[in-house]
Amino acid sequence: MHDLLLDRPPWYVAGALVAFVVVGLMATINERIGVLGGFSQLVERAEGVRPSLGWKVWFLFGVIGGGALYALATDSWGGRASYAWLTDAIGPVGTGLMLVAGGTLIGFGAKTAGGCTSGNGIGGCGVGSRASYVATASFMATAIAATLLVRWLA
Amino acid sequence: MIRATAAGFGIVFGFVLSWTGLADPSFIHKMLSLQTAYPYLLMATSISLTLTATRLLARGRAHAVLTHEPVQWSTLKPERRHVIGGSLFGLGWAMSSACPGPVAAQLGQGFGWGLCTALGIFVGVRVFLRREVAQAHQQTGLAPQAP
Repeated sequence: MHDLLLDRPPWYVAGALVAFVVVGLMATINERIGVLGGFSQLVERAEGVRPSLGWKVWFLFGVIGGGALYALATDSWGGRASYAWLTDAIGPVGTGLMLVAGGTLIGFGAKTAGGCTSGNGIGGCGVGSRASYVATASFMATAIAATLLVRWLA
Repeated sequence: MIRATAAGFGIVFGFVLSWTGLADPSFIHKMLSLQTAYPYLLMATSISLTLTATRLLARGRAHAVLTHEPVQWSTLKPERRHVIGGSLFGLGWAMSSACPGPVAAQLGQGFGWGLCTALGIFVGVRVFLRREVAQAHQQTGLAPQAP
């Protein structure tokens, strides 16, 4: 079990599991997946414009819990993740600032576009929303172009 | 029950994001550098399965198990904001090699850098909401109030 979880599952298995979550939310509570919405509702609650926390916050808490469960199951607390290429290039302080700036663009941009990779990319495209196709094409193209440009310049 | 169900599906989602490596920024960096097709194939699989399943749910006039409402969804026509917002989000995605779902999974995994990105997301959302309020006040001719 431990070894199985350390290797990436085949893409079609992972894709089916993600579809299970998207369709599952629709079939049980008639809602469309979205992670940014959870972040947004927390801000709205803190600002006093929302009286209570909605299902999106509970979904967000679940995603955090899912990450914790994986770390527990694979004994990998701290994450099997890295920003080594970034910290090597711009140092830890530079990386931290880059992440806060990047996160700010993510929050503002995804709110403007009405969803993030899950809300537009997986959920919106999954129900055939043309706005989601356009938003997804925009963020994919920009992210790939920016990454390739930086690699080319560096 | 709705909260528990949402949290349950969230746990599955966070677990899958972690297991597939989508919560690992170095893997997303490879994805955006076009060095791996895995995330694209994963998304394509998920979208096609969801398109099929939602068509079946609509054709069968299915009702949501817990809320008993007919399963339905709205779709939007593309507007300028989808292109502009999408592009800004894409830039942030490239800078952090992460997006909201993976950031949440990173927090669960105890990956500290996720805190920086999460902080940024809160700031970005707050700026958006403040701007929205200010614009609404402008349209009604009232001075914006600090909440």
